[in-house]
Amino acid sequence: MSGRKRTLLKVIILGDSGVGKTSLMNQYVNKKFSNQYKATIGADFLTKEVQVDDRLVTMQLWDTAGQERFQSLGVAFYRGADCCVLVYDVNVNKTFDNLDNWREEFLIQASPSDPENFPFVVLGNKVDVDGGNSRVVSEKKAKAWSASKGNIPYFETSAKEDYNVDAAFQIIAKNALKNETEEEIYLPDTIDVNAQRPQKSSGCEC
Amino acid sequence: MNEHSITATEEQEKWLADAQNVVKQQSFYMRKALDSSNLREALKYSAQMLVELRTSKLSPQKYYELYMQTFDELRHLEAFFQEESKRGRSNADLYELVQHAGNILPRLYLLITVGSVYIRSKEAPAKDILKDLVEMSRGVQHPIRGLFLRSYLSQISKDKLPDTGSDYEGEGGTIHDAVEFVLQNFTEMNKLWVRMQHQGSAKDKADREKREKERSELRDLVGKNLLVLSQLEGVDLELYKSTVLPRVLEQVVNCKDEIAQGYLMDCIIQVFPDEYHLQTLETLLAACPQLQPKVDIKSTMAGLMERLANYAAANSQVLSVFAEVEAFEKLSTAVATVVEAQVDMPLVSAVSLHVALLNFVLRCHADRLDYVDSVLGSCVKMLAGQGKIREAKSVKAIVALLSEPLAQYGDVVTVLQLGHYGQLMATLEFETNKVMAVLVIQSILKNGTRIGDCARVEALFQLLQELIRDGEDAPPVDQLDQEDFAEEQNLVARLLHVLVNDDPEEQFKILSAARKQFGLGGPRRLVFTLPPLVVESLKLVRRLQARGEVEEGGVTPKKVFQFLHQTVEALANVPAPELAFRLYLLCAEAASDCDLEPIAYEFFTQAFILYEEDIADSKAQVTALQLMTGTLQRTVVFGTENRDTLTHKATGYSAKLLKKPDQCRAVYNCSHLFWQDQEKGTRDGERVLLCLKRALRIANAAQQQANATRGSGGPVTLFVEILNKYLYHFDKGNQQVTTTVLQGLLELISTEVNSESAVQDPATEAFYASTLKHISFQKQKGGEAGDRYEAIKVQ
Repeated sequence: MSGRKRTLLKVIILGDSGVGKTSLMNQYVNKKFSNQYKATIGADFLTKEVQVDDRLVTMQLWDTAGQERFQSLGVAFYRGADCCVLVYDVNVNKTFDNLDNWREEFLIQASPSDPENFPFVVLGNKVDVDGGNSRVVSEKKAKAWSASKGNIPYFETSAKEDYNVDAAFQIIAKNALKNETEEEIYLPDTIDVNAQRPQKSSGCEC
Repeated sequence: MNEHSITATEEQEKWLADAQNVVKQQSFYMRKALDSSNLREALKYSAQMLVELRTSKLSPQKYYELYMQTFDELRHLEAFFQEESKRGRSNADLYELVQHAGNILPRLYLLITVGSVYIRSKEAPAKDILKDLVEMSRGVQHPIRGLFLRSYLSQISKDKLPDTGSDYEGEGGTIHDAVEFVLQNFTEMNKLWVRMQHQGSAKDKADREKREKERSELRDLVGKNLLVLSQLEGVDLELYKSTVLPRVLEQVVNCKDEIAQGYLMDCIIQVFPDEYHLQTLETLLAACPQLQPKVDIKSTMAGLMERLANYAAANSQVLSVFAEVEAFEKLSTAVATVVEAQVDMPLVSAVSLHVALLNFVLRCHADRLDYVDSVLGSCVKMLAGQGKIREAKSVKAIVALLSEPLAQYGDVVTVLQLGHYGQLMATLEFETNKVMAVLVIQSILKNGTRIGDCARVEALFQLLQELIRDGEDAPPVDQLDQEDFAEEQNLVARLLHVLVNDDPEEQFKILSAARKQFGLGGPRRLVFTLPPLVVESLKLVRRLQARGEVEEGGVTPKKVFQFLHQTVEALANVPAPELAFRLYLLCAEAASDCDLEPIAYEFFTQAFILYEEDIADSKAQVTALQLMTGTLQRTVVFGTENRDTLTHKATGYSAKLLKKPDQCRAVYNCSHLFWQDQEKGTRDGERVLLCLKRALRIANAAQQQANATRGSGGPVTLFVEILNKYLYHFDKGNQQVTTTVLQGLLELISTEVNSESAVQDPATEAFYASTLKHISFQKQKGGEAGDRYEAIKVQ
């Protein structure tokens, strides 16, 4: 394959609507936070250059719509992910309960070559809310779940207070890089590529 | 059909796989060219790779997969352009160079890719390049291809817009250029998306369904532009209000496409912040009635209201803003306008809109009962002339409108202040109305609510009409499920006990109001509803009695007794003679306690008349006489004349019962009528003895009758019972009951017990033995009782 070093890491951020996926990403990439809730439509990424050990890599962070009705084109972008971040809101039980579904769904749709060891990271966000008085999912419970799913690293974060966000994404980058498998080496069947061209459809000329 | 669809799926898979293979192949050569820094080759292979995106065969989701694959590959190309640029190659040259690609679609993808690097280099103002790219993209008019191409432009340019505070602001342009660019891209994308609807046959159902499915899959590409707008730093409230929202709404309204309108309205509501919505409610809501009739505007508006309610719930300090911008008033007006404008709107949607509005009020302004009532009123107004609502979903929505305030306030008194509540309830057909009425009562009972205001009570009865009387809509009572009917009526009966006020005047008003309502219920209901009314009235009598003097015109026991008389009479007319009989006696006793002789006498008279005329069953007669005797025994109000009349009647009827044993027992019970413990009570030993002797005679006759018919005398139970009555009166000090009389009776029983014809009965024997033991015990006790019992011999 080419001598070009592969330095692009694809990270998918999943979780229920309103848990703070976009906020976490914005805090990490742009160092910005807004209290305003804006739904995400479809999937979109931001990139961030990050130093992992002594390598400089580009992280492509895919933010996704938590609301199903804003995910009309499906999840083709899961493919080729190097790490999947599962986010829940420590103040809302349901968002934690749904982590299972998000994880399953990801493994089915992304179909990584080694699902057992595919790197996930779990983030329990919004630990700042009401000074932690309104939290309903304990750290212990979340850690137990993460451990039971193949020792997934777990972080408690606050996008609002910028608490633990960098630390979490550092691990995300590190684990994504570890996952870097040999890219499928493509060898063309024949040297003469033009001879292999399939018939083009008879569409319009645009 | 199924087989066909499997084939179609497989076909899609195959087409996608083919295209992906070509992309792999071409990108392989592209990367090779990139590695050797061969720009021309790289461009050639990348263009050949991008040609695959010209396919018309793939469904949007499959096309998206192919797009994602090429998208990833183009990042390598972009990185190369970046390096080239760093190495000193002019971006303007590159921008020219890629335009040599033969096909327009690959050409534009390449152009946008270079454009990205070009903007970043700042060699030309961002706004100019963006403008050029968005204009050039017009060249692709095929909807799916065009949408993905513009989506690529949107994605690539997102972080390079001359947004406020961005690197590209200034020479690159201003926020206005950024907004203009996104709006233009949005408008063009929406047009492409809407145009799809008009391709192909409108009549062919399968064709239309397929097209609508495809459109639905593509919608996020269009909606994402709105997300980009909402993420721009420079789009502050001012700009949003003056430019962004009006322009977006203009496109939404003018496209006249129901799929686009419904979706985009939802997007606007979801991607822009609550603060903005609050400050632009009028504009946003004004668009709603202008949408196509088939747009599900209910969900859109409900979505908005839910969002705002969530916002208020999470930030109580913004409630003042809600008031300031008159959020409720605007939403309320909008609901009414939309319902009016969309004549074809299904009823359920119209009612659901009110449910959404109500939930908004309950969450944001729970203290504003006037708001709650105005929502109900608006719904009533809308339903006017529709008659009873029977369509299941609408009914459910109306029930929700009625149940929410109950649940919220947990207090019917509050709900009763809602003037339109009853009117709304009246739109429900019989069965549902009843269910709702039951809910109301259950809420009252569960929450221990006390309703002590006559006006409220009347309002409450208004709500409970279907339970209280036969409505026009209701089936005849005898066709109802009797078990349910009884259960419901018992609930109404229980309700009466919470309609209390400490002020007797108000209490009497309440009872009179209840009486009036219950009176409409017909005989089947009266038997359930009137008894508690009588009981409550008697409670009132007791309170009045304790109160003593009253002012002129105030309620008096007499008044209440008149009320009671008329109430019990109604029960008697049902007819429910046994029930009325009991209640007459209760009233009689209460009147006696109040020292109202004529009234007490009247009640007794009525009871006797009922006995004579309507209580024919011999068992019922036995019970009735027991009650009569008991009550009369406790009554001390009567003068000799009245008393004699009544006791005479009672003893007379006792002796006329059908069965001898019943006669006997009734008669010995009558002995109590002549010996009252009370201070003013009658004590007529002679007549006591007469009763007892008469009972004894009847017992004898009973035994003879048994002998004659069955050949055995039967147990001596009656004799033992009579003996006990004698002992009772003996203990009471009745001089007529002498030890001689007792001795005689004891011997009689002893003979009977030992006679051959006696029937063994363990219970009677035990009773007898206990009686004898009692006598012995009294003898041994000594003192006064011992002396009295001294003379009695027990074997």
